Amino acid sequence: MNHLWLRVALALYSLGLLHAVLTVVKRRQRLFRIALGAISLGVVFHFVALVEDGLALRHFPVTSLQEAASLFAFLIACAFLLVYWRYQFHSISVFIFPLVFVLTLTAAMDSSTHYWELPLLRTAWLYLHVSLIILGHTAFFVTFVAGVMYLIQERELKSKKPRAFYYRLPPLDTIDDLAYKSLAVGFPFITLGIITGAFWANAVWGPSWPIDPKISWSFVTWLIYLLLLFTRWTAGWRGRKAAYFAIAGFAAMLITWGTNSGLHSFVSP
Amino acid sequence: MNFCLVGLSHKTAPVEVRERLAIADEELPGTLRKVAALPGICEAFILSTCNRVEIFTRAGSDDGNMDAILAQFLARTRHRDLSEIEPYLYQYRQQDAIHHVFRVAASLDSMILGEPQILGQVKAAYAVAHATGTLKGALEEVLSRSFAVAKRIRTETGIASSAVSISYAAVELAKKIFGSLEDKHILLIGAGKMSELAAKHLLHSGASSIFVTNRSPERAQELASLLNGRAIRFEQLFEYAGQSDIIISSTGAPHYIIKKEDGRRLLAGRKNRPMFFIDIAVPRDIDPGINKLDNLYLYDIDDLQHVVDANLKERMREAQRGEEIARQEVAKLLRRLKTHDVVPTIIDLQSHMDEIRRQEIARLRSEFGELTPRQEEAIEALTKGLVNKIVHFPISHLKNLAQQPDGLKVVETVRKIFNLKD
Repeated sequence: MNHLWLRVALALYSLGLLHAVLTVVKRRQRLFRIALGAISLGVVFHFVALVEDGLALRHFPVTSLQEAASLFAFLIACAFLLVYWRYQFHSISVFIFPLVFVLTLTAAMDSSTHYWELPLLRTAWLYLHVSLIILGHTAFFVTFVAGVMYLIQERELKSKKPRAFYYRLPPLDTIDDLAYKSLAVGFPFITLGIITGAFWANAVWGPSWPIDPKISWSFVTWLIYLLLLFTRWTAGWRGRKAAYFAIAGFAAMLITWGTNSGLHSFVSP
Repeated sequence: MNFCLVGLSHKTAPVEVRERLAIADEELPGTLRKVAALPGICEAFILSTCNRVEIFTRAGSDDGNMDAILAQFLARTRHRDLSEIEPYLYQYRQQDAIHHVFRVAASLDSMILGEPQILGQVKAAYAVAHATGTLKGALEEVLSRSFAVAKRIRTETGIASSAVSISYAAVELAKKIFGSLEDKHILLIGAGKMSELAAKHLLHSGASSIFVTNRSPERAQELASLLNGRAIRFEQLFEYAGQSDIIISSTGAPHYIIKKEDGRRLLAGRKNRPMFFIDIAVPRDIDPGINKLDNLYLYDIDDLQHVVDANLKERMREAQRGEEIARQEVAKLLRRLKTHDVVPTIIDLQSHMDEIRRQEIARLRSEFGELTPRQEEAIEALTKGLVNKIVHFPISHLKNLAQQPDGLKVVETVRKIFNLKD
């Protein structure tokens, strides 16, 4: 497959990565404007690459790990732009761009792409299921990053000895708001993703499809996020507790992501 | 380019000396004119603030004596003996003088690093000198460049970005907790200069309202009307504390007024929305254990001082980068000024040659009478080509040599060789 546009996007994202590194080293920098332009342009080229892939494959490109990585990277980069546009802070790039870069790099590498050529998987449900899950994961990744940023900034404020991060990170309230909003966006996606997954399994295996480890873990993850959302609504849970919960949820999500046996065993190459 | 700067500042002279040498605003234009009238001076600029007095000039030529003349002038104009003020004076010449002005405008040389007033003072002094007519060349360019340099340093480094006073540090912390202070309520317990100042800054930064309480209701009323707030009775303290996001306390109470238990109760009553406690009292009013509770932040007077110290250190670190920028900008400006120096010479050279060419053609005409258009054209082309070929190398050498240390000497030589008038 021709990865030209994806590589252009990768080159542009590398400026985002540079910005992330400089944010740690220096307090203020002129690079941000350039980096912001490069990232925006990178997102555009990345979109072109996704469309091109889709046209070549004649379906939505989420049927291999590389394609999923590419879509995930694209969405996280979009999330960065969205966060900057909404909250006007960019230190979040420290956490976002290393991942965007690595994911895009994986996607742009020439390797024998492994497709899931099982005809029983080729249904509309698959595209919907995977896309929704990736959208939800993008939002939850932002929730996780916000959680980590919150814990760092809270420690700076409680310790009363401001160090480098105190000056670079946004206010607690802003971070908390971001955590809440991203959680509220991610939860419906994940929920719908799980439901479409169930429909898909129903269509393929009939009403008595087995529960595999990935499915059980996704339920655990879903429950953690449900609990977090619920306590935020009712008990006004926020700040540190909510941050720990978001990190726990993300850890569960990673385990879910990595567990590919049973029904999902086709995912591992 | 012959810049010279003589002056004294808080770094070299105590206030008793500075106040004696300060030049009042109304005397400034007169003094500027006197400086400009000194032999050899082309341009003059004077900066006189409570922290520094500096005379900055550009002379037509440099005999290495300009700083002595300026020091002498400063002493005479303030009716002092030169020997009396000499130990406090510093002198800078050429690029060192430019560098110094850049540092001053960018507040790298200020008593409080990064304080914003100095740039305004430099700009005001520039406006006076400009209006008086003592700025009309390279010195003006140096000064207007210094504004841009100061702005660049301010925006590209954190030299001016964090609070260096207790009350502003409190505002900054509140912003780090709440983000925007809009729709945040303040409760001020007790009275005191520092707590009043912190409350004022918080209100000024957007906090929406303030409750004031005091053991003495009259004092509370008085302070409330001063701050446009609402006075409440001391017994109602906890009713209003729950509605407040920021609590400033500075009473003379010998024991804690707000205990950890109270903090817990307040939090439960407001669904864990964060609160910021500022305890300016000694002995302290608020149980330090409160800071251990989630979503409550407590800073006492020492903590605030630590933040100020950390901010000052941060400013000093950022100032290192500011110094680097100042150095770069000096080099950049010097390159430009030097090119400026050769541009008139290049123009003079070209017009000098063209003049000769015209004269020779005129002589030719008077000798041979009317020429045919073809002959006319050929002579034009021939002489123009000749002149261009002759001046081509001198001009390109001038442009290159201008960037080198002794470039100005070469300019002089070229002027002499071609007998260009000054």
